[in-house]
Amino acid sequence: MITLGIDIGSLTAKGVLLKDNSILEKHLIQVGYNSKKAGDKLLAELLEKASIDRTEIARIVATGYGRNSIDFADKAVSEIICHGKGIHFLLPDTRTIVDIGGQDSKVIILNAKGTVVNFVMNDKCAAGTGRFLDVMARAMETEIQYFGELSLQSKNPAEISSVCTVFAESEIVSLVAKGENREDITSGIHLSIGRRIYSMVRRVGMVEPVAMSGGVALNIGVIDALEKLLKTEIKTSPLAQYGGALGAALLAVNE
Amino acid sequence: MKIENNLALFNKIASEPYDYIKTLKEKTNKKIIGSTCTYTPEEIVLAAGAHPFRISGQSQNLSAADAHIQAYGCSMVRCMLEDGLSGDLNFLDGVVFPHSCDSIQRLSDIWRLNIPSLHFDILLPVKLDSQLSQNYFAKVIRRFKSDIEEALNTNISDKDISEAIHLMNQIRTAIGQLYTLRATNPSIIKGADMAAIVKASMVMDKKELLDELNTLITLLSETEKKNDTRKRILISGSICSHPDIYQIIENKDAVVVWDDLCSGSRYFEGLISETENPYIAISERFTNRFVCPAKHISADFQLDNMKKLIADHRIEAVLFIFVKFCEPFSFDYPDIKNELEKMDMPYLMVEMDQHNRIDEQLHTRIDTLLEIMQF
Amino acid sequence: MAERLKATKEMKRIMRRYYAQAKYAHYIGKKVAWITSGGPVEPLIAMNIIPVYPENHGAMLGASKKGGQLSEFAEGLGYSPDVCSYVKDDIASTITKESPIKGGLPKPDMLICSNNICGTVLKWYEIQARNFNVPLFIYDTPFVHTEFTEEAKEYIKEQTKEYILFLEKVMGHKFNYKKMDKVGRYSLQSMKLWKEILDTAAHKPSPMTAFDAFFHLALIVTLRGKKVVLRYYKTLLKELQERNTKNSGAVDNEKYRLLWDNLPIWFRMRWLSDKFANHQAALVADTYTQAWCGVIDYIDENDFLGTMGEAYTRIHLNVGVDKMADTIKDFIRKFDVDGLVMHSNRSCKPYSFGQYDIQNLIKDMDIPVLMIEADMTDDRKFSESQVEARIDAFMEVIKEKKRTK
Repeated sequence: MITLGIDIGSLTAKGVLLKDNSILEKHLIQVGYNSKKAGDKLLAELLEKASIDRTEIARIVATGYGRNSIDFADKAVSEIICHGKGIHFLLPDTRTIVDIGGQDSKVIILNAKGTVVNFVMNDKCAAGTGRFLDVMARAMETEIQYFGELSLQSKNPAEISSVCTVFAESEIVSLVAKGENREDITSGIHLSIGRRIYSMVRRVGMVEPVAMSGGVALNIGVIDALEKLLKTEIKTSPLAQYGGALGAALLAVNE
Repeated sequence: MKIENNLALFNKIASEPYDYIKTLKEKTNKKIIGSTCTYTPEEIVLAAGAHPFRISGQSQNLSAADAHIQAYGCSMVRCMLEDGLSGDLNFLDGVVFPHSCDSIQRLSDIWRLNIPSLHFDILLPVKLDSQLSQNYFAKVIRRFKSDIEEALNTNISDKDISEAIHLMNQIRTAIGQLYTLRATNPSIIKGADMAAIVKASMVMDKKELLDELNTLITLLSETEKKNDTRKRILISGSICSHPDIYQIIENKDAVVVWDDLCSGSRYFEGLISETENPYIAISERFTNRFVCPAKHISADFQLDNMKKLIADHRIEAVLFIFVKFCEPFSFDYPDIKNELEKMDMPYLMVEMDQHNRIDEQLHTRIDTLLEIMQF
Repeated sequence: MAERLKATKEMKRIMRRYYAQAKYAHYIGKKVAWITSGGPVEPLIAMNIIPVYPENHGAMLGASKKGGQLSEFAEGLGYSPDVCSYVKDDIASTITKESPIKGGLPKPDMLICSNNICGTVLKWYEIQARNFNVPLFIYDTPFVHTEFTEEAKEYIKEQTKEYILFLEKVMGHKFNYKKMDKVGRYSLQSMKLWKEILDTAAHKPSPMTAFDAFFHLALIVTLRGKKVVLRYYKTLLKELQERNTKNSGAVDNEKYRLLWDNLPIWFRMRWLSDKFANHQAALVADTYTQAWCGVIDYIDENDFLGTMGEAYTRIHLNVGVDKMADTIKDFIRKFDVDGLVMHSNRSCKPYSFGQYDIQNLIKDMDIPVLMIEADMTDDRKFSESQVEARIDAFMEVIKEKKRTK
């Protein structure tokens, strides 16, 4: 049986085709203005990529911010449930998922069976999301892909606000003006977002092992900061970005 | 068909309360007295021949209020102020400010200094656990009675008060009946409609309200009892009358069967004794009914109350809906949630930035709780 | 910069001793009460109960820059990021024992809560009542929007009696009215002394700043009613009067005089003090410390117990915004200030809501007003560069105004 999971975020839309419990094909596009149109486009491109016909798909589950606008989906499920399912598939044994995306962050707790039992979200505030790192990287005149590496070179991280992106940015401008060490400031930035996430983890209670997903999982500086704060190893998967879509496809099997 | 019409009326009034009031004022020439909290003794306002109504804070965009209350004030207080400053409440003859929380307390001063109308501060006690505080409560109500008599240049007789009490008791009983009908047969009425009924109850002419409520009860009593296997939800918080929340819940195979809300059960619960001294009787109702977190009966009251509600209504999940920046409710939350965890009771706490707007983030969180319960 | 006040050393010694006594209270057979900063402490002193102030402790946590950290801990337990940081810090400190006092505050045997400062303390003390499982007494002071009603007066008077009964029950012995009479007199005397101390700042240049007042405030708050407070304040007053005689100001070349409104920003006192001093500006008075000598006229020294209810009900934070504006106008005139600095304190709604209207109400005083958005203990809610920019701009406005006067 082939099922399809679609994750319509605010920036990107991801799709995963699942056949007999393994990933047949995956695809990612930019969402742009219209979630519905993005969903249609994603479907069309994914079918072509996989060389299959629409009628071969047994069931479709949509998730993400735009899930309710996908009219060809059989069901809409929240991204937390789907993410939980998807990451559990990629990294079995995972009990805590830390997902830091471009615009939001979440901590999801799974039970031993891999089902979501608790969660906490930060989806209203730039601090604690990828947006925070984008703004800081710009302020430090560093490209985002090297930002994490730079932070690892510090021996003495600076103290940077974790509650407000605007505060943090003005703190950085001050530190740079004072001639503070670039690595230390950068490390401070990574610890700041780490602390914000740590705060969320504490609200739901961490259970090991911990896995990270979302775009920010590619930042080794954040992983390092989180490992220090949570005092545990953090695993990740190269397919982590597709966790939501994968989980949706898996849920479609049981529909 | 009849039920539809009846519900349509309630929904219309709930979504456009100020239009209704304006029409009522034109028709009856009654004095319109706004209130900012369910601790307002509406009976006294009615006895004075005036019309009481709850200011809903319907302003969506704040501009005028920003010049008076900082951004860290809750949206209820800021939106009510915006309603007042924007001119939307030009029909108001007076406003009542019962003492409730710190923000309402300061809102009273700010309102008095900036919006011309009759102004009544009802200095209710915060402590409700002693005979002394109850006596004081009664005296405060008595003073309110003299104040409103003077302000409206009228006389309130004992008969006026007892009639008002009787009418309000009937209304409370009726709303209570609807709640009970829903708790035993949830499919009988949608959550959004129930919320609209309570909201409209705080706006409508009371006699008209009682007629419509009784009509609805009769019609609904004829409805068959359906077997309802949806998850039974309790909503706890202050204000939650936005219809979309109920829709979101009902879309996920769950239903709100009771609440612990100022915009819900706290409005109608408890009857006023019709044989005792009216001021004592009114104060007794407030001290006997479930108190809101801004008042004190005991340190364990809210916890015990929660457990009782869960048991009485066979609750399967608790949804805390708080308005951001609200101290009384959010300080009670952690100890209550710890108890719920011990009971293995699913729960979720969501904070609304604006009490009169539902955003996607809220939607996702509620969806997730209900999906967790399904899987 | 003028030298530190000599009396400071003695003050620190007194506070250390006070906290040590509180810590070992149970060893010396005494009971401990936690009480709110505006609470009626005198009857506790009369009953030989040691009063402890979680708010004073909160100030210490803020000053030692632990405020944000502790609030974060409390938020991990489910407390909202937007509610009062004093409460969160106290809850966190109770659990983690993190505190400049080793082991944190001593456990209370009873909790005394007066809501004259705010309604949040009610929730705070309910939480601690559950936590410690000890008796809680609430001294419910009705708000005075425009008038202090007869029934409110009676209510608070009766509650004073209830309070005495409560203490008798918890302590298991009768209330000592004789001692109470003495304690009441000491309390009133210390309030009058405190007023004299703050009044020395009317002198130009001022011998002290609000930052000195914030520091020396601790005694009148925590040990009001005890003789040690009188002794110390007499010493402090003498030193300040000497400075005035010598025209020795706290700020070098004092040129501008400012009034502070709201609680201090406990974790940035030094920084703020220096910042203003560098502009030759002295914060000569503030509404916060003034609150502990603002209700003297309502107390009858021959009947402290009978009149304290009204006094506690009429404090600055428990009256209408327009009344607060009048008080501020009085201070502006009395201390001849050139500007008003208002701390918009995220943790304190009763003190912060109404500040914009107060600004309007004092327009005829024709002085510039600065708003500093921060928090009294939570250092996460403070942006140094933004505050600095505002202070600099404000001082420019003041300087220009004085130049053209």
